[in-house]
Amino acid sequence: MDYSNLRRQAASLKKGLFDQGHLDEQFRQVEDLQDEASPNFVEEVVVVFFKDSGRLITNLEQALEKYPRDFNRWDAYMQQLKGSCSSIGASRMKNECMSFRDSCGQRNVEGCMGSFQKLKREHAVLRQKLESYFQLLRQAGPAGAATRPVM
Amino acid sequence: MAPPEEAGGGDQFPVGMKVLVVDDDQTCLAVLKRMLIQCRYDATTCSQATRALAMLRENRGAFDVIISDVHMPDMNGFRLLELVGLEMDLPVIMMSADSRTDLVMKGIKHGACDYLIKPVRMEELKNIWQHVVRKKFGGNKEHEHSGSLDDTDRNRPTNNDNEYASSANDGAEDSWKSQKKKRDKEEDDSELESGDPSNNSKKPRVVWSVELHQQFVNAVNHLGIDKAVPKKILELMNVPGLTRENVASHLQKFRLYLKRIAQHHAGMGNPYGVPASSAQVASLGGLDFQALAASGQIPPQALAALQDELLGRPTNNLVLPGRDQSSLRLAAVKGNKPHGEQIAFGQPIYKVQNNSYAALPQNSPAVGRMPSFSAWPNNKLGMADSMSALGNVNNSQNSNIGLHELQQQPDTMLSGTLHTLDVKPSGIVMPSQSLNTFPASEGLSPNQNPLIVPSQSSGYLTGIPPSMKPELVLPTSQSSNNLLGGIDLINQASTSQPFISSHGGNLSGLMNRNSNVIPSQGISNFQTGNTPYLVNQNSMGMGSKPPGVLKTESTDSLNQSYGYVNHMDSGLLSSQSKNAQFGFLQSPNDVTGGWSSLQNMDCFRNTVGPSQPVSSSSSFHSSNAALGKLPDQGRGKNLGFVGKGTCIPNRFAVDEIESPTNSLSHSIGSSGDIPDMFGFSGQM
Repeated sequence: MDYSNLRRQAASLKKGLFDQGHLDEQFRQVEDLQDEASPNFVEEVVVVFFKDSGRLITNLEQALEKYPRDFNRWDAYMQQLKGSCSSIGASRMKNECMSFRDSCGQRNVEGCMGSFQKLKREHAVLRQKLESYFQLLRQAGPAGAATRPVM
Repeated sequence: MAPPEEAGGGDQFPVGMKVLVVDDDQTCLAVLKRMLIQCRYDATTCSQATRALAMLRENRGAFDVIISDVHMPDMNGFRLLELVGLEMDLPVIMMSADSRTDLVMKGIKHGACDYLIKPVRMEELKNIWQHVVRKKFGGNKEHEHSGSLDDTDRNRPTNNDNEYASSANDGAEDSWKSQKKKRDKEEDDSELESGDPSNNSKKPRVVWSVELHQQFVNAVNHLGIDKAVPKKILELMNVPGLTRENVASHLQKFRLYLKRIAQHHAGMGNPYGVPASSAQVASLGGLDFQALAASGQIPPQALAALQDELLGRPTNNLVLPGRDQSSLRLAAVKGNKPHGEQIAFGQPIYKVQNNSYAALPQNSPAVGRMPSFSAWPNNKLGMADSMSALGNVNNSQNSNIGLHELQQQPDTMLSGTLHTLDVKPSGIVMPSQSLNTFPASEGLSPNQNPLIVPSQSSGYLTGIPPSMKPELVLPTSQSSNNLLGGIDLINQASTSQPFISSHGGNLSGLMNRNSNVIPSQGISNFQTGNTPYLVNQNSMGMGSKPPGVLKTESTDSLNQSYGYVNHMDSGLLSSQSKNAQFGFLQSPNDVTGGWSSLQNMDCFRNTVGPSQPVSSSSSFHSSNAALGKLPDQGRGKNLGFVGKGTCIPNRFAVDEIESPTNSLSHSIGSSGDIPDMFGFSGQM
C-alpha cells in the first residue's frame, strides 16, 4: 500500500504535468523507450536535459548581458535549447523558446527578456516537479516491482 | 518495439543497419539512440561533426546512414551533409528543431535524403532504412526486381517497404549488406555500365550516355514534351536492353530539369544571391516544358543563361533559383563566382592545369586532371561555404562520379572532396586510378557519385587543399565534363571530387569517361567511356524524400546523370553528374579541354533545337577546340549542367570552388552562353 500509494502519487504528479502543458506527447515517447534493457532511461535523459539546458540558460543569460541586441547570437542559443526541449517533451519551455525567437526576429529586446524570464521559471518548475516525480518512483520502485501491473 | 523489418518475412534487412547520429544536443542524442536501438538498428552517436567526419573517413563502410543535426557548433550540418555525400556517398538525413521551409529546402538541395523535424518520432526512424536501400539501388531498376524496385524507386513510396525490402533482400542472406552485394553483381547488364568494378555497391544502372540521352531527347522532342510517355519514347529510341522504367525515370528527371530551368529563368533566382539580370532569364521565365521542349529542350537562351550562371559569369541573368547553394557554389567555385553562386561547375576546372581546360566551363569534371580541382571542390564542400556545403553535398556525390572521366566535372567537388573523396563515384567513370581518393570512383556506382575521378587523381584529390585551388580544377575535367560547359561547372562543383584526378594530362583517360561528374550518383558512370547507360538515378543522394520536393527531383531524376544540373534539390551537384550524361561532355577525350562541356555546348545547340544558335557555344567551342575537341559526345555527355539554377548537383558545393572556375567561367562565359547546360549538346 505504501508503495502503491507512492506510485499513485507519482502518476498523479505526472498527469498534472501533462494536463498543465509542461509535458507533451514526446515525453510519452521517451517513456516508451524505457524497458528492461534501460530501466532508468527516462530519468537519465531528464538528468541530461536539465544539465544541458541549465548550461544553455546560463550562457544565454550572460549573452543577453554581454552582447546587447545581438539577436543572432541569442537566437542561436535559443535554437539549441529549443531542440533539447522538443526532444524531451518539455512543451511549455519549448513555447517560451519559440516566443523568444520570435522576439529576436522582430528585434524586440523587451520581448526577448520577458520570454527569457518565463523560460527560466518554467525550467525551474519543471525541474522541481520531475525531481519529485522520480523520487517518488524511486521510493515506490523496488517495492513496487511485485505489484507493478506492467511487466 | 517491433523491429522494423516489414520487409519480406525473414528478411532482416533493416536490422542491424548502422546509423551514425551527429548532434551537439546530448538530450536528443540520448533519445534518438534509444529509439534507433528499439528499431533494431545499430546506433552510434557523436556530438561533434568533425569527429564524425573523421570516423567516416576512416571507415566509410562503418555506417549505412547518417543522421545529422543542422545547427552544430563546430560545423554546419549542411556542410557535413555535403562532405559526406561527396566523399562517401552515404545517405544523410538532416534534422532540426527548426521546421522552416527554406531550411528544409536547403537540406534537400544539399542532398539530404530526408529532413526530420525534432522531436523525431519513432515512426519516422523506422523508415529510414528505405533511404539506404534506395540509394543503393540507385537507378537500377531493371536489374533489381523491376517490379518492386521500379515502383519503389520511382515513386519513392515510403510505404513500399515490403516490396523494396523484398527485392533488396532478395537473395540477401541475412544482412542487408549482402543484398547490396548482390545487387552489385547484377550489374552486368549490357546496358548498365558497371564502370567501376570497385564499387561493391554498384547497382546496375543504366548509364545515360550522351548519345543515349540525345536519343532520348530526340524522342521526346518528336513526341512533344506533353505527349512524351515512356513507352513511346522507348519505342522511338529503340535501344536494346533499355526498359521502360529506365526511360520513365530518366524522363522524370528530365522534366524536373526542364522545370528547373524554366523556373530558373523565370527569375526565380536571385534568392541565392545570384543576380539575375534576367535578361535572358526573363525569356526563360515562364518557360514551361512545352516551351522548352519546343525549343529543343532547353532554349539556347536558357542554356546560355544557365551557362552564364553556371560559369559564374556576370550574366546574372540566370540566377539559378533554387540552386542556391550548390549551384551557386559551382559558379562561385569557378572562380568567377560573380555572384558567388553561380554554378561554378565547369569553371573551376579551368583553372586547373590544363589551360585548355580553362576554357572548359565549369564542367570540366575532368577530374583526373585537375588535381587542383580537388582543391576546389573542397572549398565548396567542406569549406564552409555555405553553398557548397549544402547543395553540394549532393553534388559531391555526383561529382565523384564525374571525376573519373575528368570529363566529369571535377569541379568544385573535387577539390574539397578529393581528399576524402571517397566519394563513391556514382558512376563516373574515372579511371579509378586517381580515384584513390574516391572510394568508388570506379564505375558509376550508383550510390556514389559518379564523379569518377580519373584515377590519377588519387593523389590529386587529396592533394587539393580544401581551399580548392581553382587551378586545380581539373582541367581535364573540363573536357570531360564540360558537358554542360556551364553545367559542368555544376557538376564539377559537386562532383568535382572524383575527378580531380589530376592525372596530369591524361585527361583522355579521364575524359573518356565523359562521365563527367555527373552529379553524384546518378550519373556516375557515364563516363567510362562507354556510353553506358548509366542512369544513376539516385546517386544523387538526394534520394529520398524530398521534403522540399526538391529532393526528389533532383535526386531521382537528376541523378540520372541528367546533369540536370542541379539536381534540383539535392543541390548537390549531383545533378551535375547527370548533366554530364547528357552528353555534354562527351568524352572529352581530348581532355584538352576537358571541356567536353564546350563541346557540349555545341551539341547542345544542336540538340536544343534550332532555336537559337548557341552563340555561346560557338565561342565556346572555339575554346574547346583548343581543348581538344571534346570527344564525341558519346560518352556520357555529361549533362552536367545541372541546371544551374537548380541547385547544382549537390556535390558541387560550387560556391567554394570559385577559384578555378574563374578561369573557366571566363572562358565559358565569354563564349557566350553555354547553352548546353543540359548537356544536350553533348553530341556534337
